[in-house]
Amino acid sequence: MEPPVVTLTECSKRFGDRLALRKATLTVAPGETIVLLGPNGAGKSTLLRLVAGLLRPTAGSARIAGVDATSAPRSLRAGIAYAGHRSQLYRGLTARENLELHAGLHGQRDLDVTALLNHVGLGDRADEYIDGFSRGMLQRLALARATAHQPALLLLDEPASGLDADGRLLLDATLRAGLGTRTQLVASHDDELPARLGARAVHLSAGSLA
Amino acid sequence: MIPAALAIARVKFVLELRRREVIFAMLLFIAATIVIVHFALSGDTGAGSRAAAGMLWAAVVFTAVLGLLRTFAAEQEEGALDALLLAPIDRAAIWIGAALAQFGFLVVVEVVAVPVWWVLFFQAGGPSIGTVVVALLLANVGIALVGTLAAALALGARTRDVLLPVLVLPLVIPIVLAGVTATYGAFGEEVGGFRPLGFLALYDLVFAALAWGTSEHLLGD
Repeated sequence: MEPPVVTLTECSKRFGDRLALRKATLTVAPGETIVLLGPNGAGKSTLLRLVAGLLRPTAGSARIAGVDATSAPRSLRAGIAYAGHRSQLYRGLTARENLELHAGLHGQRDLDVTALLNHVGLGDRADEYIDGFSRGMLQRLALARATAHQPALLLLDEPASGLDADGRLLLDATLRAGLGTRTQLVASHDDELPARLGARAVHLSAGSLA
Repeated sequence: MIPAALAIARVKFVLELRRREVIFAMLLFIAATIVIVHFALSGDTGAGSRAAAGMLWAAVVFTAVLGLLRTFAAEQEEGALDALLLAPIDRAAIWIGAALAQFGFLVVVEVVAVPVWWVLFFQAGGPSIGTVVVALLLANVGIALVGTLAAALALGARTRDVLLPVLVLPLVIPIVLAGVTATYGAFGEEVGGFRPLGFLALYDLVFAALAWGTSEHLLGD
């Protein structure tokens, strides 16, 4: 049996007086897709940011491929993608410039940015500053950014918010394409998503895994 | 690491060219400071080279702090810093890229401000411009290195606009002392020859090493 890609062990995160995540223990196998479900404030975003290594646990540990997530080496970070509540893009750049920057930082000089933008339905807006993009368009672009370098571990935090019907289809197709080949953790309010994807559902409530 | 740092610095310059948020404010501030001090001294150019040198360095430092307050503003708008932290690059590249941009902004501001300072304070008998320029360039490196490091430290704080000057200003006092001393020297005063410039270079090296070693830990949770 292959070792887990993600291992949370008694992982807690406190922000001031508020305990956002309480002793969460979770393992995610290679190629497994997990949908995190729970109400607002349940700790889904905190859990994803801990896995991404963007937060340091207050107690317990968060490990990726056996390595402490906050000190993941560059080789490991190259295979991780995280798309959170914000688009993680530069507002003063165009859609194309944002993806080119991302590709450059990931060493993908030959990435076909035009094809990627066409794929997410933004081909005709490629050279517009994203300042004027709607929430849904930013989500599409964030999805393109997150999947551009074909990560082995994809972390998506409520990726459907703001997406129109076509956007949701695109998101579902992206997640389906990764089933079995890519490890995926998706925080969602869509209770039907696990069944649609054939993925494991994990419920969070008030910072605790159910 | 250098290509990543240059890419990040380039983005910051492109954003500044499009938005004109940082350099324009810095230019207005330093020009206003120089003009106000000129009038505060009642246009008395006989106030002495020391007063003129001191006001230039004070204006440069406070103007730099104004720019440093916006160091990671573009990365915070849509959370781009998260993407940079997860990119497979040395995290020092983020700090170096930001510091390069700050250095560039300061140079642009000084290219405009120093001639204004010169015209207002020295109708005749100004300092050796070469020495002042070298001192300013060395000081810019130090201010950009230390300031960007402090900006990274203050990043997560709610009161970062207050915290940043509190962190930066004590750290740049040695730069001001050496810069003012170098400028006195540029007037022909005997104040240690090239030692102030050497001190500025040493300061840059020490803080570059310090920031390099700590940037991995500072730019995170």
